[in-house]
Amino acid sequence: MQVRSVHSGSGLQLQAVAMETEPHPAKNLSVFRTTEADPARHSEQHAAQYYTLSPTHLRTVFPHGLPPRFQMQVKTFNEGCVMVRPPALEIISHLKKADYSKPALHYLLYGATGCGKTMSLCHVLHYCSTQGWLVLHIPDAHLWVKNCKELLPSSSRPSRFDQPVQASQWLQNFKVTNDHFLSKIKTTRRYVWTKRERTEEGRPLAELVEQGVNRVKSSSDVVGALLRELRLQAGQGDFRLAVAVDGVNAAWGKTSLKKEDKSVLLEELTLIHNMRKMLNNDWCGGAIITALSQTGSLYTSRLSYLPQELLGQEGFDKMDPFVPVPVSNYTEKEFESCYLYYMDRNWLQHPNSKCECYTGFMSDLRYPSTAGNLFIIKSFKTVCGPSYCSNFTYNIILFIMQ
Amino acid sequence: MALYRLSAVRWSRYNPYYMEPEPRREVYVSEKEKDEERELKRVRPIKAATSGTSSSLFSDSVISKFINVMMQDGRKVLAREIMTQTLETIKRKQVEKYHTATETKKLEIECNPYNVFHQALENCKPVIGLTSIQRGGKYYQVPIPLTDNRRRFMAMKWLITECRDNKHRRTHMYEKLAQELLAASANEGNVVKKKHDLHKMAEANRAYAHYRWW
Repeated sequence: MQVRSVHSGSGLQLQAVAMETEPHPAKNLSVFRTTEADPARHSEQHAAQYYTLSPTHLRTVFPHGLPPRFQMQVKTFNEGCVMVRPPALEIISHLKKADYSKPALHYLLYGATGCGKTMSLCHVLHYCSTQGWLVLHIPDAHLWVKNCKELLPSSSRPSRFDQPVQASQWLQNFKVTNDHFLSKIKTTRRYVWTKRERTEEGRPLAELVEQGVNRVKSSSDVVGALLRELRLQAGQGDFRLAVAVDGVNAAWGKTSLKKEDKSVLLEELTLIHNMRKMLNNDWCGGAIITALSQTGSLYTSRLSYLPQELLGQEGFDKMDPFVPVPVSNYTEKEFESCYLYYMDRNWLQHPNSKCECYTGFMSDLRYPSTAGNLFIIKSFKTVCGPSYCSNFTYNIILFIMQ
Repeated sequence: MALYRLSAVRWSRYNPYYMEPEPRREVYVSEKEKDEERELKRVRPIKAATSGTSSSLFSDSVISKFINVMMQDGRKVLAREIMTQTLETIKRKQVEKYHTATETKKLEIECNPYNVFHQALENCKPVIGLTSIQRGGKYYQVPIPLTDNRRRFMAMKWLITECRDNKHRRTHMYEKLAQELLAASANEGNVVKKKHDLHKMAEANRAYAHYRWW
């Protein structure tokens, strides 16, 4: 199949290019796929190409990190392929050159909904994991500030609230990702959980995590202790710490949790309090990579995506100074790559979605009416989304192309 | 001079002079129209197209009809959502099966959800139906031929009622529909069973076939 550029220039008229039939080459992978599975070696030459995540990495590095639609896609296609895109490449290049004896740098991925912030974050985390860093991934901070059925008053401090279920679940996933580190790092002080339970100084972190997983009641405090230990020891140079938070605007936003009909303040939640301390860049030996998210956030306008709007004054001041990394929609090359990938995976089934009629259809959808656009984009979000990660005019096609 | 209706069609408020709208784009692109037809279109008024008609390359009249049958309380948006989710679910399941199958099995798996839907509908359409005819004080179930529209409607109605009534309460409609459509396209499942039961009843009652006078 001859791969020709679908987009012939930027003019309004798209010419119907005749398809030349050639004998199908054995595996025409080079255009949209790359065999380079190591994120450290990805560069601009791999831009807009898909690289495959190995199944072991999928299980260990991303037990809870990948977005749900991408997980569905992995299950359907029997492989996990991520596109190499400029925002992720930018952050990886910064991480390679950064000085880790200085305080941690903030990286903030921002962009419109559905542009690929979470996927870029996952790409960067894959890089960190393959480089042997300790990855602390909070997949969605919004889940910690809403829909919590059990909100217990904290055992250690009177004015705080614990979230046992969320904390213990997170600790389990943390264990899966960083098992090999937990036996090497030791605690630096004694922690007393209850009258009968305590963790002595010098015990491996694995014990701390076990304590949190088994005793769900004190799991939020365990999370706090764990974060404190990692903060103190990352600076000593044995390992590098990558703190990744998706939906970081939840840390300085609003909650919908209520205690006895009175709204809970964000400061009173143990998990959020500890997360904020972690996001403070007063520790060395690592990086803080974050992504904004409007989709799960509470009491924010749906159209807002800029850091100032989503983080608020307080959040912006705390995150300042940060490296802003904008994530935008697919470029023409990336879109074509995406289209070829879906064709390869046998996902685009409708005869009208294959090449010949494609150009006519494209010219239609380039300039839909605004009402049509909104409807299509909304329906894209809720539906079949055969394409993962990018909602923009072109992508509407993929929604409809079944 | 073209012949048009001499009396108004049942339920239509339009004057029979009005012509039907033509949503398909290939008719306008290829110049298949004859001069007389074009002259007619210049002069005669055209009915307004309904919101359900689409000139999209991906619209399917059978699917649109199914959406309308599935719609309750006029909630077309919801019915359409469910339909697209159903098609996506079917495609996901089939593509998953495709990617985990051996080379020989791959050719047999139908991944196109539209084909699966059409095949399932074909497999659910009854060939012969029953109607109640009164003879000598008693009502008999008499086998009768069915029109194409009636057969299509019966198949769609059976699919939808089966999914609404006989499945687990907590599953979503699109999941239930996807399961039922996949089963029907392989000639299994409750709807195909219902069609077979109807055929058996008609076969059992063939003695009364002569009660039908039309």
